[in-house]
Amino acid sequence: MEIVKVENVSFTYPNESKPILKNINLTVEQGEFIILIGQSGCGKSTLLRHFKSELSPHGKKAGTFFYDGKRLDEVMPEKAASEIGYVFQNPDNQIVTDKVWHELAFGLESLGVDKHTMRRRVAEMANFFGIQKWFHQKTSELSGGQKQLLNLASIMVMQPKLLLLDEPTSQLDPIAAMEFIQTLNRLNKELGITIILVEHRLEEVLPIADRVLIMEKGDLLFDGDPREIINTLPPKHELITALPTATKMYHLLDGEGPVPLTIREGRKWLAKKKVDLHTGKQLPVASGISNTIVLEAKDVAFRYEKNATDIIQHLNLQVKKGEFLTIIGGNGTGKSTVLSLLAGLQKPYRGKILLHDKLLKTYRNKELYQKFITLLPQEPKTLFVQKTVKQELEDTAKYHNILDDKVEEMIMQFQLIHLLQRHPYDLSGGEQQKLALAKLLLIEPEILLLDEPTKGLDAYAKEELATILKKLQVNGLTIVMVTHDIEFSAQHSSRCALLFDGNIVSEADPRTFYSGNNFYTTAAHRIARGIMNEVIVCDDLVILCKKD
Amino acid sequence: MKSFETFHPLVIFAFFAAAIGLSMFFMHPAYLVITIFLAVSLNIALRRGQFFKDWKLYVPLFFLMAIINPLISHNGKLVLFYINYNAITVEAIVYGLSIATMIVSIILWFSCYNETITTDKFIYLFGKISPVFSLTLSISLRLVPRFQQQLHKISNAQKVIGMDYRSGSLLHRIKCTLRIISILITWALDNAIDTADSMKARGYGIGKRTSFSLFIFERRDGIVLLFIMFLLMVNIWASIIGTTTFYFYPTFSIIQWDLKNILFYCSYFLLLAIPIIIEIKGGIEWKLLKSKM
Repeated sequence: MEIVKVENVSFTYPNESKPILKNINLTVEQGEFIILIGQSGCGKSTLLRHFKSELSPHGKKAGTFFYDGKRLDEVMPEKAASEIGYVFQNPDNQIVTDKVWHELAFGLESLGVDKHTMRRRVAEMANFFGIQKWFHQKTSELSGGQKQLLNLASIMVMQPKLLLLDEPTSQLDPIAAMEFIQTLNRLNKELGITIILVEHRLEEVLPIADRVLIMEKGDLLFDGDPREIINTLPPKHELITALPTATKMYHLLDGEGPVPLTIREGRKWLAKKKVDLHTGKQLPVASGISNTIVLEAKDVAFRYEKNATDIIQHLNLQVKKGEFLTIIGGNGTGKSTVLSLLAGLQKPYRGKILLHDKLLKTYRNKELYQKFITLLPQEPKTLFVQKTVKQELEDTAKYHNILDDKVEEMIMQFQLIHLLQRHPYDLSGGEQQKLALAKLLLIEPEILLLDEPTKGLDAYAKEELATILKKLQVNGLTIVMVTHDIEFSAQHSSRCALLFDGNIVSEADPRTFYSGNNFYTTAAHRIARGIMNEVIVCDDLVILCKKD
Repeated sequence: MKSFETFHPLVIFAFFAAAIGLSMFFMHPAYLVITIFLAVSLNIALRRGQFFKDWKLYVPLFFLMAIINPLISHNGKLVLFYINYNAITVEAIVYGLSIATMIVSIILWFSCYNETITTDKFIYLFGKISPVFSLTLSISLRLVPRFQQQLHKISNAQKVIGMDYRSGSLLHRIKCTLRIISILITWALDNAIDTADSMKARGYGIGKRTSFSLFIFERRDGIVLLFIMFLLMVNIWASIIGTTTFYFYPTFSIIQWDLKNILFYCSYFLLLAIPIIIEIKGGIEWKLLKSKM
């Protein structure tokens, strides 16, 4: 039975010439798990918001949406509110109240449900989601993953039939994201809830999806089985980089037969392919970097309060001139703290941090941040104060007496020219990051520190960021980045370090580093492990396997 | 102190309303002794170490008021000595001490109130009046820690681009502070759109709101509430018939020690001792339970 039907829907935002949705036709069956993908600005969020009449954007609309056999605008508001649930991208912004239990009950309070029923439904959902342990906690004390689970749970108490989710895991670390996706899978398999999910972590979600929709420039480009995507998309399409590694590998090696999606299927497929292992080809090893140490931490220890436990202890780290160092590690291992110690924003209580063999704390702030170090914060928005992108750059230039030519150069380098008159808050996540980088690099620092720059970016924006960073590295900038993103680290950095329990436990060039790890490694390596041990990214496979 | 807190917020609130309300009006020495003694006891039971820290604050306050009153007021028959031809009387000193006792005991009752009526309970109590009011409170309580965190993030980000509000000239510092606040406001408004969407998506504004809470009104809550109400009535009656009245000027009235008055004093003691009685009872029951296991 169909639950949602979309008939010839077109939509144009006010003051825009081109429509963002072009004649979309779609039916969703009850109990389906659908993934909606596409590049930013393709209209996927706009389409998703239309399913929820309270959130549908203003603009010129044509065509009709049907829900449960009725026109969507004729469905009773109570029914629409409780039966169609919507989870947003940012876990923090959706939380309304100060206590977990109150947040769970919020929707039911709005619907005027009596106390007895509320009690039962809240208990039910707290159990399903495993919230009991933090049921009485303040919402501000939860981790990002817990917050997003709470958001989902506080919608589930209203007993929805259709769940709409707009990139719910983009702000989460990989482990929390996986847990969230598995919970969605449970909701779908155990309770039969229909799910439409906008997502760009395809590695994890494609294997559990029934159906995939791909949107491009307002059109529905693809509608079908996840395994058919690769053979339907035009070759060299930008979305291919976003597909699961197993599928990408299959594609790059001109595979035949059923398309693999998961690591397991990928391994099976690769083993069957009987690649010629004795082509004598060698994989490139990161070329020698200068041995000059620019920034160094020696036996550093740090804690936030006198009686708290150490977040960083025995930290020893050397940053070499011109390298691209990535520091990876799980949640709560102190990655961001390391960065703020290196940037001089926090002071260690034991140990030394040296910049050019001189203690970091002896530098004056003005000198330090104008000549040597800059830090890209996790939220680029914390840097923006002006009304347009152009003013934002000019503001920094004026303060630091930078010539206009330099500003022009930055605009060209970061391809911001078409965005100059836009408000910084209206930019996409990737564009905001580029603007923030441009702003910071105007000051021409020697070392760039980045705090999880790939968080929330889609595959295309990540590629763009990588290109920019590599170009900067060639021009002599030293880059240190902390991240959860193993794939990004393996593909683009020149050295990797693993942070665990407040100190660096291992460090090496990416190939040695990732081929030495068993679990904490890239998908490509997990697929090729035991067959071709030195493979860490998809491209390595191509180099080794292709004849020419 | 864990037993009294577990009672229904309504009971706890009724107790403090009665205790603070009566303490504010009764100037009779017997009543003052009872209220300060029980307020101190409950404070120690509830806040332990914290109370002894605050103690340094109460003592000077106490003596300050005891000294100031005789300097201002020169009524009374029992003159001790003269300062600049103004009489310093025993009555004025005792009156000052009594006022000080009353104020300190009210402060102590309020600090117990703060300890037991947490924001949850407060929101619940006032949510009875209006669900919207309780929601507004809850939203505000959510925003405060969020803003603090964000302020910290913004000021760090700005520091790196040379906008450190902690260094430079005064003008520079003001400029940086304004900048940080401006960024915070833009950020807050931007996020508020999301929050509003999330509220709308969960049916906010559709119909009449109900208010959820985790509190259950048990039988024991009813019994204690009735007890509080009964004792409150007794004490109000005592005040009407004049048992609680005491004059300091022109000279002290006599404190009555007949059976009727002693019974009234006891009822006051009993009312204010309810939390402590509950606490002791809870402690004994727990020990018995443990010993039987």
